[in-house]
Amino acid sequence: MAIITAATTAPPSAHKRAGAARQQWIGLLYVAPAVALVVVFFLIPLGMTAWMSLHNWPLMGEHSFIGLGNYVAILRDTRFWNALRFTAYYTVIVTIAIFVVAFPLALFVERPRPLTNLYRTMFFMPAVVGFASASLLWSWLLNVDSGLFSPAAYDLGLIDRKFNLLATFQPAFWSIIAMVVWKVAGFTMIILMAGLQSIPQDLQEAAVIDGAGPFARFRAITLPLMRRTLALALILSVAGSILAFDQFYIILRGGPRNQTLTAVYWIFNQSFVSFKLGYGAALSMVLLVILVALSLVQLWLLRKPEGLD
Amino acid sequence: MRNLIAKLTLAAAVLGSGLGTAAAETANIWVRADGSNFMPRIVDAYNKAHTNQIKLDIIPNAEIIPKYGAAAAGGTAPDALSLDLIYTPSFAAAGQLEDITDWAKSLPYFASLSPAHVKTGTYKDHIYGLPFSADASVLIWNKKLFKQAGLDPEKGPANWAEIAADAEKVNALGGNIKGFYFSGNCGGCNIFTFTPLIWASGGDILSEDGSKATLDSPQLRGAIDLYRSMVKKDLVPAGAQTDTGANFFAAFAAGNIGISPSGAFAIGALNTQYPDIDYGVTFLPGKDSGWSSFAGGDNFVVTKGTTKLPVVKEFLDFAYSLEGQTILAKYGSLPVRGDIAKEALKDLDPRYQIAAEAMAKGKTPYSVVFNDLINSANGPWTQMINEVFFGDDVDGAIANAQETMQSIIDQAPQK
Repeated sequence: MAIITAATTAPPSAHKRAGAARQQWIGLLYVAPAVALVVVFFLIPLGMTAWMSLHNWPLMGEHSFIGLGNYVAILRDTRFWNALRFTAYYTVIVTIAIFVVAFPLALFVERPRPLTNLYRTMFFMPAVVGFASASLLWSWLLNVDSGLFSPAAYDLGLIDRKFNLLATFQPAFWSIIAMVVWKVAGFTMIILMAGLQSIPQDLQEAAVIDGAGPFARFRAITLPLMRRTLALALILSVAGSILAFDQFYIILRGGPRNQTLTAVYWIFNQSFVSFKLGYGAALSMVLLVILVALSLVQLWLLRKPEGLD
Repeated sequence: MRNLIAKLTLAAAVLGSGLGTAAAETANIWVRADGSNFMPRIVDAYNKAHTNQIKLDIIPNAEIIPKYGAAAAGGTAPDALSLDLIYTPSFAAAGQLEDITDWAKSLPYFASLSPAHVKTGTYKDHIYGLPFSADASVLIWNKKLFKQAGLDPEKGPANWAEIAADAEKVNALGGNIKGFYFSGNCGGCNIFTFTPLIWASGGDILSEDGSKATLDSPQLRGAIDLYRSMVKKDLVPAGAQTDTGANFFAAFAAGNIGISPSGAFAIGALNTQYPDIDYGVTFLPGKDSGWSSFAGGDNFVVTKGTTKLPVVKEFLDFAYSLEGQTILAKYGSLPVRGDIAKEALKDLDPRYQIAAEAMAKGKTPYSVVFNDLINSANGPWTQMINEVFFGDDVDGAIANAQETMQSIIDQAPQK
């Protein structure tokens, strides 16, 4: 960092400019493999998606260019906008739920105390399970006839008739929230813990000497100094939730009564159930734009304020 | 080096010209996982008896359509495939299939091929698919539970009132025994086993050519009332409400369900995997009398432009022979040739005869958007059946489904 700053602020001279240019070429060489990966696996597919979105492109048969026809159709596609509304609702709820669970966990495992490593591992474990496998596990746990929750409550005499958790919206939705929090909170906890540990201890001690209580210290020192960590955790959580699909597909099939269809689920349905690949591509582009915009807004909201390092 | 190349070229030339027409050719065929029992057997039998060979690939049910679409786009589609018959119209409409009208009509037994298959295999008066495997929907009952409940174990229900009464008696045995089972959140299961109740009573859910949705009928409402009343009386396990088809067969096979609508496939599956279950097979009845069945199974379709058409024809000829039909029947598919069905089934479980009879009179809805309308877990049919069986607003659910289905039909590409 220091070298680059020195190079750019030094007075320009022909010799140094040539050196800088060579350095830049070497730099480009170093990042070339990464650039190649991004081009091949991100930019080209993205370009193809954009190209397909301008076509009527069935899974089978001929495709034809229709300009912005797919995008016009999206404007009238109420089921997509409903799916998007549900996705937004889910994202807000699940992000809050994850932070409400992960922040206390991070505070709990941050300081060295007996068995800290055990706790950290325990809380983190579900994060290493894939979403699909976790969904399969929970769809068994939630099954009313042969699962765990409902039959256990029935056998313990807590309820007098087995209750199908997945049959109506509220219990089904909150079951998914519980599953996602169980699966993701450990990962968010690790990110937040790293942020907490990067706060210099002397700041906290100085505040204690000045007579600040724990809440004041948390609000005036911990939170501001964790801005960037929070931004990272927030963007990961929001982006992940907007792209949610596996759990709703595997556990609920978009039910009960299509009330839990997410945006990605709708794209999947249009592409691989209705075989309209072009339309699915157009929907993906719309979702991409929304996602990029949201991430920019979050980065701007959590940008580094002036005078704070 | 030059010498070697010359030799190789010569060898290739000799191979190419010398063997020429006599060379054995290999055609590639795909089948969905539902056919994984009978398909390898019939392919083996064919390969042993012929110089031409068939290479078989088995593809998971849910993936065969997208995979085939991708393969066709990339020019690597199989020469032919055994395709869920309800997809034949949409594949034909997409211009993906070889027109086999002349060949089909030249078959001496063309008139006795399963009519439901031929109907779905026909698009705009041309034939693109011929019957390959068949499955008919039937009603099965547990004889042991019937006997325990004081019912005649040899007599299955013959109308709706008897279904409800028998289910209630079996349910009264208590414990974890339930009277009736159906997969309440599975569109494909219920088009297979629920619509025959409507057909047998004289109603239908789609017009003959698939251009109109006709949901709002007294027959549909009557059949809904039958299921609703059983749900209300607690004769159906709670899990039925959210079963997307995973328990369609397994629930009855566990041995504590009195009656369940099912398919001919269950006969083979119960006999081989659950030999302890003593069960009976009967037709899916109408409200007061009569019966009907969904004629399901696969159509055999040929990819447009394939060079292996002679091999594919030879294979299908073999499948239609008595030997071929017997192999199919023995490993889980009903015969598709009506004229030799009895003979192909004569050494098998007599319960197959009921299913074969059901098949012969079976119906299949015709639509180029069947997947969107019926099979999709998020389509209007699946949503409606779940709402009308378990929800509070039957009228609203029917009206909503009618409207959505009609709009999907109207928006389908017209070619």
